[in-house]
Amino acid sequence: MRSTLALPLTTGVFLLAVLAHLGFFDMERLTRGFRNLGIIGAELVPPDFAILPAVGAALWETVEMSFAGTLLGFLASLPLSICSTRRLFSSWTSGFARFIAAGIRTIPVLLWAIIFVILLGLGPLAGTFGIAAYTVGYLAKIYADLFEGTDPEIMEAVQSTGASKLQLVRFVILPEAANAVLAQVLFMLEYNIRASSVLGFVGAGGLGFVIQIYLQSLDYRRLATVLLLVLVIVLAMDAISAWARKRFLLSAQAS
Amino acid sequence: MTGNGGAPHALRADQVWFSYRNRDWVLRHVSLAIPAGKHTVIMGPSGTGKTTLLRVLAGILKPSAGSVSVLGQPTHELTARQLSSLVGYIPQQLGLVRNLSALDNVLMGALGRIGDAKAVFGLFPRQEIDKAQAALDMMGIAHKASQQVFHMSGGERQRVAIARTLLQHPRIVIADEFASDLDLALASEILARIRRAAERESITFIMSMHRIGLARQFGDEVLALRHGELAPGFIGNEILESRAEATL
Repeated sequence: MRSTLALPLTTGVFLLAVLAHLGFFDMERLTRGFRNLGIIGAELVPPDFAILPAVGAALWETVEMSFAGTLLGFLASLPLSICSTRRLFSSWTSGFARFIAAGIRTIPVLLWAIIFVILLGLGPLAGTFGIAAYTVGYLAKIYADLFEGTDPEIMEAVQSTGASKLQLVRFVILPEAANAVLAQVLFMLEYNIRASSVLGFVGAGGLGFVIQIYLQSLDYRRLATVLLLVLVIVLAMDAISAWARKRFLLSAQAS
Repeated sequence: MTGNGGAPHALRADQVWFSYRNRDWVLRHVSLAIPAGKHTVIMGPSGTGKTTLLRVLAGILKPSAGSVSVLGQPTHELTARQLSSLVGYIPQQLGLVRNLSALDNVLMGALGRIGDAKAVFGLFPRQEIDKAQAALDMMGIAHKASQQVFHMSGGERQRVAIARTLLQHPRIVIADEFASDLDLALASEILARIRRAAERESITFIMSMHRIGLARQFGDEVLALRHGELAPGFIGNEILESRAEATL
């Protein structure tokens, strides 16, 4: 009995200590926060749709950055993830490729955008490269794990036909993982739409610059319009993803 | 060891031992000689080492001790491509790529003869495509060439796997628990087709299976494996006649 209660009790005490340290029991501060939430919420409505023509260009730029960055990152992640596959390459090669992917992944997308603004100057080009870099790190890891999970029987059967490593990638690994590869790249595209809407904070183009201006000038009605636009784009992306999954992925009801 | 009256053996194993973990033997002093052009069935209870034996014979696993030779050449001296021109291997789950069509799967049998650049772009020579279609035709599923394997039945998948191996032009085909998931009539029909194809192409077949009736239909010779050892008392067709069902 003592031992069964010890773990939940210890966890509970630890959780309470952490929450207290983070200020969760500062009631005066929390009450003030809720009051401010009400004020800001009231100031967000009604959204000011008069700015739609003005923010249209920034919105389009965000969509362009997301598509181009995701596509570039996807293409670059494929060779890196293939080299990371231990079943195809030595532990040295796969370890080195995984180290590079982990290094790229360590840097958040906003920091990548800053790095490319320094390298390439202000504008959407820096944002596109920032998104591409983050996408490479993320997809290379996911794809490498996917490729490693390829059914060893299929690998053996095709290997026994005399297939080379490249042929195994082309005829076994990529077709077997095709569903998950497509699903992940669609998820990444949706993620990048949201991520790229804040890259303008650091001068990397897109809606972020507009959001920053409306935030700094406390113009919450216009900010609400921009956030609604992002929501519309994310919902549109959801619909496109659903269509692509239905169109290209295998149904689960085959014999 | 099976005798063959001095004729060349397609495949020979001498004192083969194998373990996945240190000294935990899955195969023990297995010696056998498969005559060229004959069809050999390996039988035995589950977990007795049949799959491991077939993988060792196919050159996929290296024996811990002993040697395997194909048409007189030790498998460890052959490159993967040389081995693929001699031995075709069909695993228990067939090893087909589900997202690709039957024809694409069959064409994989020609990969050992195709350069990387052409294969990566799917540029198979016309001659190979014709041969792949002929192999599907021989298996009675030419009309399913463009269908994704994912949407095919179990029997159709078995035929695709055989067609892929035939396109490889091997001298020996090793198949693990082939047709074991099919109903008896369908399995019997497929095995009859394989026999005809094997006789036409002078291929030696080695299969593991657990159905006595099918073994009787397909095998010229039957080997029994128990606890990783060939059971000498049960080698030969007499296994089909009497004690096999009771023993295995």
